[in-house]
This record gives sequence, C-alpha cells and structure tokens, in this order.
Amino acid sequence: MNSLSVYLVLGAVLFSLGLFGVILRRNLIGMLISIELMLNGANLNFMAFNRFLAPEPAVGQIVTLFVMGIAAAEAAIGLSIILALFRRLHSINVEQARRLEG
Amino acid sequence: MNSFLTSGLIHAAFWVVVGLTFGGAVLAVFPRKIVYNVLGLIVCLSGVAGLFLYLGSFFLALMQLLIYVGAICVAIVFAIMLSPPLHLEVPKRRMGKVVLSAGASGVFFVAIAAVIWKTVWHPAAERGADWSIVTIGHLLLTRYDLVFELISLVLLVAIIGAILTTGFSRRLSS
Amino acid sequence: MMWLAKDPVLLAASACATLPFVSMVVILIFTRRYRSMSAAISISAIAACLLSALYLLWTLRHAPEPVQYQWAWIVSNDMIIPFGFLLDRLSLLMLTIVAVIAFLVQVYSLGYMAGDPGFSRYYAFQSLFAWAMMTMVIAPGMLQLYIFWELVGLASYLLIGFYYEKWSASQAGKKAFVMTRLGDIGFFLGIIAVLLGFGDLGILSMNEAAQAHRIAPSVVTLSALLIFCGVVGKSAQFPLLTWLPDAMEGPTPVSALLHSATMVAAGVYMMSRIFPFFAASPDAMAVTLFIGTVTMLLASTMAMVAYDIKQVWAYSTISQLGFMVMALGAGGYFAGVFHLTTHAGFKALLFLCSGIFIHEYHTNDMREIGRGGGRKLIIPMVCMTVGALALSGIFPLSGFFSKEAIMGVLAAKPNKVWLVAGLLGALMTAYYSFRLIFMILFPRQPAHHDAAHQGTGHDDHGHEAGHHGATFWAMAWPVMILAGITLVLGFFHKDLEHFLLGAGPAVHEAEFHGEGAGHGLGHYVLLFSAVSLALGGIVWAWLEFGRKGAAQEGFLRRYPKVEALFANRWYIDHAYRWLLDHLVYGGFTNLFTRNDRRVIDGAIDGICRFTVGGGRVVSFLQSGMVQYNLVLMVAGVGAVILFFVL
Repeated sequence: MNSLSVYLVLGAVLFSLGLFGVILRRNLIGMLISIELMLNGANLNFMAFNRFLAPEPAVGQIVTLFVMGIAAAEAAIGLSIILALFRRLHSINVEQARRLEG
Repeated sequence: MNSFLTSGLIHAAFWVVVGLTFGGAVLAVFPRKIVYNVLGLIVCLSGVAGLFLYLGSFFLALMQLLIYVGAICVAIVFAIMLSPPLHLEVPKRRMGKVVLSAGASGVFFVAIAAVIWKTVWHPAAERGADWSIVTIGHLLLTRYDLVFELISLVLLVAIIGAILTTGFSRRLSS
Repeated sequence: MMWLAKDPVLLAASACATLPFVSMVVILIFTRRYRSMSAAISISAIAACLLSALYLLWTLRHAPEPVQYQWAWIVSNDMIIPFGFLLDRLSLLMLTIVAVIAFLVQVYSLGYMAGDPGFSRYYAFQSLFAWAMMTMVIAPGMLQLYIFWELVGLASYLLIGFYYEKWSASQAGKKAFVMTRLGDIGFFLGIIAVLLGFGDLGILSMNEAAQAHRIAPSVVTLSALLIFCGVVGKSAQFPLLTWLPDAMEGPTPVSALLHSATMVAAGVYMMSRIFPFFAASPDAMAVTLFIGTVTMLLASTMAMVAYDIKQVWAYSTISQLGFMVMALGAGGYFAGVFHLTTHAGFKALLFLCSGIFIHEYHTNDMREIGRGGGRKLIIPMVCMTVGALALSGIFPLSGFFSKEAIMGVLAAKPNKVWLVAGLLGALMTAYYSFRLIFMILFPRQPAHHDAAHQGTGHDDHGHEAGHHGATFWAMAWPVMILAGITLVLGFFHKDLEHFLLGAGPAVHEAEFHGEGAGHGLGHYVLLFSAVSLALGGIVWAWLEFGRKGAAQEGFLRRYPKVEALFANRWYIDHAYRWLLDHLVYGGFTNLFTRNDRRVIDGAIDGICRFTVGGGRVVSFLQSGMVQYNLVLMVAGVGAVILFFVL
C-alpha cells in the first residue's frame, strides 16, 4: 500500500475525474467542484513526492498549503463570477454563456 | 500479533480511505443534482485528508479539513443556495459530450499513467526527517516569506474582487 | 574649420563643391519671390566657383602628383569606396571649363530669361546643375562620380522640362531622363563589376591597376563596356542619341550649358577620367571607336536637313561628341580632351548666339530668322560665324587644332576606315554649319510683307534694343567673351598638351610621341586634306545656299527618301517606338500583366480564399463554449505527453 505509485495513480484518477467533470458538466458550480478535485489530485501528488522522494519534508507541505490558499482564492472568485453570471443570464449553464462565439 | 493486527487494520483503513476518496470523487462528478456533487466533494476531500495522514502529515490533513471541507465547500453550498432552485428538472446529458469528455480525460489519464509507469523514481540522497510544524512555520516566514506574502495578497485581491464582481453585477442587473 | 583655413586648396575645392548647392537651397527656400536677388546669389556663387577653379588651376599647374583629398566612405573587407576631391590636371581643366561656361551662361540668362515667371526657379536649377557637374568633375571615386552624374541628369531633366506647362517640353525632359537612365543602368552595373572584380572604386587606383594588369582582362573589358553604356546615354551616342535634339525644348542658355560643358560633356569626361582603364581593354576601345564613328556620321547627316537652328547645333553636338569618343577610342587621350575643351567653348558660343536670334525673332526656324533680318544683329552674327568656322575646323580657330589632333590619332590607326569616316564627318560638319549661316545671312524670297515691314521691323528692333539695352548686352558680352576664347584657345594647343600629359597617365605619352615622330610629311598631307575638305564643305554650302540665285535647297532635296531618312533621325525614334510597342508593351508588359493578373493576383486571391475559408472552419472551434476549448487543450496536452513518453 505504501508505495509511491499508488498515491500517484490515485492523484491521476482524481485529476482525470475532475477533468472529466470540468468538460462534461454544464452547471458552473459542478465545474468548480470538479476543479477542486483536480487541485486535490495535484496536492496528493505533491504530498506523495514529499513523503517518498523529497530531501526536506517541510517543503512539500508548504507547497500544498500554498495550493490550498490559491484554491480558496479561486473558489471565492469563481463563485462570485458564477453569481454575477447567474444574475445576468438567469442560468448557470455554461453552454449559454457563449458571448465569445466566433 | 498485535502489530500485525494493527498493521492489517491500518492497511484496511488505507483502502477504505482510498475507496472514500474515489467514491467521493465519482459522486462529485457524475450525478446531475448539484447537492450530491457537493456531498461527494466533501467525502472526497475528507478522504484526501485521510491520505495526507497516511502520507505523514497530520497538520496538512487538518488544514485540508479546515480549508476545503470547512471553507470552500461551505462557500459552494452558499452559492448553490443563491443559484436556481434545485427542484427544477436538470436537462439530460448529451451522449456525444459524454464520449468527448471521457475521451479527452481518458487520453490525459493514460498519458499521466504512462509517465508514472515509465519514470524510474529515485529518492533524494539525503532525506530529512523533520516533519514538525515548527519547521514549516519557520520556513514559511524565512525562505518562503515572499511567496507567503504573495499568496496573502492574492487572497486579499480575490476577496475584494469577489465582492466587487457580485456587487457590481447586482447593480448592473437591477 | 581651422583645417580649411590652413589649406587654401582644400578650401577652394570645397567652395566649388558646396557653394552652388547652398545657393540653390537658399534660392528655393528664401528668395523665390525676389528675382534679382536669386540671380545675384546664383551668379555670385558660380563666380566664386570660377575664381576658386582658376586659383586651383594656377596653384596646381605644376603639381607633379594629383592632389587628392579622400576619405574612405565605405570600407568593407576588400572594398573601398572613397569620397572627397581629386584634383589632377584633367579635373582642374574640366572644372575651369565648367565654371567658365556656367558663369557665362548664367550672366547671359540675365538677359535671355528676363521677365520669365520661373526666373528664380531657373537660377536654382542652374546652380544645381553647376554644383552637380563640378562635384562630379572632382570626384575621386566612381561611386561619387556616379551619384553626381545622376544629379547632373536630374538637373538637366529639370531644366529641359523647365517650361513644364508645355507638353513637348515635359516630354523632352522625361525622354532625356529616361534615355540617359537607360545608359546609367549599364554604368552602374559596370561600377558593380569593378567593385566585384577589383574592390576599389578610387579612380586613380583603378587606372593604375588596369594599366599594371592587376585586374583580370575580362573584368576590365566587361566593366569598361558597361561603363561605356553610361557614356552612350549621357553623351548621346548611338543608339541613345535621340534625346539630345529634343532637349532643345529647354531655354536656349540651358541648351548651351547642356551641350557644351555639363550634361553631354560628362560622358566624355568620365571616359577620359578612366581612360587608362579603358585603354587596358582593346576590345572595349574598339567598340568605343565604332560607336563614336557611327554616331558622328549619323548625327552629321541629320544636321544636314534640319531647319530648326537649335536642332542643327544639337545634331552637331552629337557628331562632335562622336568625334571625341572616336578620339578616345582610338587612344587619343589628349585629342579627345582637347576637343572636349574647344567644343565646350564654341558650342556654348553657337547656342548662345542662336539664343539671341531666338530671343529677338521668337522662332527657331533658320529661314524665318533669315527673313526676319537676322543679319542685322551684327554681334551675334559675327560671333556665330566664328563659332561655325571653329566647328568646321578652319585654321586659326580652336576647332582646327582639336580636330587636327583627332585626325592625327585616327590616321595613326592601321585601319584607314576611321580616318576616312573622320574626314567625311569634317566635310559634313562644314556643310551643315555653313548651310545654317548662309540661310540666315542670305535669306531667300525676302518675306512678302518685307516691303511693308522692313522699316517697322527695323524700328521695332531698334526700339527693343534701346528698351532692353541691358538685357541685350547681358547676352552679348558672354557671347563675345566666348568668341574671343574660341579665337585664341587653339594657340594654347601645345601648352595644354604639356599640361595634360605632363603628369598624365603614361600610356598616351608613348603613343603621342610615337605619333609625333611618325608623322612628318604625312601629318601635313592630313592637315591639308582636312582643311581643304572643310573648305570644300563651306564652298558646297555656298553654292547651294549662299550665292545669288541659289535655290537654298540642299542637294538632298533631290533624294526625298534619303532626306526623309535623315530628317526622321534614321527612324531611330520609330525603332524605339516599335520596340516599345512590340517588345516592351506587347512582350514584357503583356507577360508581366498576365503574370500579375493570373499568377500573382490568383495566388493572392487563393490565399485570401484559403484564409477566409480556413477562418470559417476554425471559427467553429470558437463556439464560445469553454468546455470544447478545454477538450481540445487537454487532448492536445495529453497527446504531446504521450508522444514524448511512448
């Protein structure tokens, strides 16, 4: 159980599932949730490398902390954008937010 | 015997945690009802916190619970409360899109798996054993203080930006 | 500025190379409205140049070595392109000629151009012309020479097309510019050939190297021939000779300047400038000799049937330039340069005299001038006769000496064809010059209104002379000075020869000594035959045009076909037209048009269509749906990773 590959594969699974969700979900909040999943996949990778490979155990944890901070910021901004979009379009379906259509 | 039992328990618990994480992730992605997704996310994040425990960092595990489960998920729940009513019928998924996203993420997963598989991982020659929070705090305020400050700034800007975005759009739409 | 004061030679040379330019700029920018001030500025600038040129000639007359102020303008590896002044005997002589003629012409123009609305502009262009020519003359390197050579072309374009509101004038300006350009392409290619084959564009080093056979003979021949193209264009040699007769559309003083010391002289000057270079290639010399001969004969025949007074002199200029090129081509460096010198004097004289007639009678037709009473203008009539005598090569006048020198060179050639051609040319020259003189002097069918108009016309003239006394004298003085020069210049024959050849390139010296020793009796026979041929030409002209009861119809009138051939300039212009129509318009232009329409336009249209269509296709990607973009991105990144891992 305690091998690097297990964690890495688990991280990859989380990341890919998140990716899948980001692409699939039409609900913006769903997309945000999926993004959180992806971030967690990445975090898991950091922690796994920190545990098994890194020379200094503190560094990986610090990076993970930073990622968490960024994730918090991202969630705050993302949610506020979702709210703004909802007020404007009365929907949180991304497929309707296509003003950028070329 | 005892140690075997405990190690077995720990082992089993690990797979349980992995199962939780995986199941939570599936739950966070697949159902079309957003509330299930949030619940799935919470479960998944808690599982990841457990994995952090297994990875040797009690501190990070607690932080995970605090920040993700405690803060982000709550924020998401707030957002759900402010968004369209939940009882509305959610439109069906289009098969094409499912296949497309499955294909794209599948390719990505295969790519990452291939990297994991192909790479030969070498641990660092000298590996420290200092897992204490004191060191983390010390490093945050010495070696990584610039990054630390930047993250703080980003958070500040994000908060102000969030307030502005929602506030302005309210004024614009009304 | 201290270095200028310390070196008066350099100061004088710089004055020649800058003052007229300054004057042009000042006139164009500040004094366009103040006519007399413009003229004063321009004339004082050219007078300063004249003084500088004379000073330079005087101080450097015994200088054993050419004085050279030279800065390497571009040095790149083996290439050296110098800039500066080269003051050797040839350039000093030419500088003086240019300054003298330009000065006299500008003074003359005070009278001729009086009252013209473009008076200031005229003087600005005159300054430009003088500046370009003088700086060209003292150029130490081929590139500087080329630059100012083109400026000379530009100035003559501006001056030929001076009456730009007149269609024919602007056309003539364009024709002159384009035809000389045609030759200049060759010239430029020649310079490039020298640059590639030798690497140094300095005139002295080119000459030395060519003489010492340090340049490959093929390079010398090729570049000499290409450079000769420039001479052909500039000095109106065959086949680019038709621009010069048209160039009389400009004001007459401009023609005088153009035909004597500047524009067309530039070609011959340039050729004598790098004469040792040419001399190093016998093939190029042969081509030169041939072209000169053909030009000389063609132009003489054209002059025999022209009735336009300026046109006759224009054709004679071409034929005299042909003589010079023949002389140079036959190896007679001094003969060519000497003829250039004397020709500058008497041709300016002839044009300026014609200018007085044209100014008085407002016509270019010699018959009209004769009927109008041209003989009554004593001063220009006498001066013109002096010029015509010089042109024909009659004894005490300058043309005699220079023509004899040329005949001597031609006689030294083993093939006597050239000599015969030269003598024939001399005969025709005398014939057409005196045809003109006699036509003006002895007008036939005294104008029908003559009886009625005689008194009034005379009065009118007297009145005008009284009224424009100053203008008339402004024109008469330069003419008389030139006539004086023409009278005496010939006697400085030997001095000039010593001056030019004293430090001149060694080649000709040997040639000349050989010639001088080899002649004896032959020389006198030649002298006698040339002069008698010229006299014969005059007598012939007298029989047909001068004597009482003569029909004043050339013998050519009896051969209308030949006359038409001559009058139409041997159909050279028609040939150009035909070439233009069929080869250029029908061939190249057509081809290029098709290429443009089909290939280039088609290609561009195709690219446009492809771009637009591609844009349409690609714009499907920009559905505005973030998720589809994401799909592509992710799939792409995944594929890249897989590509590198697997």
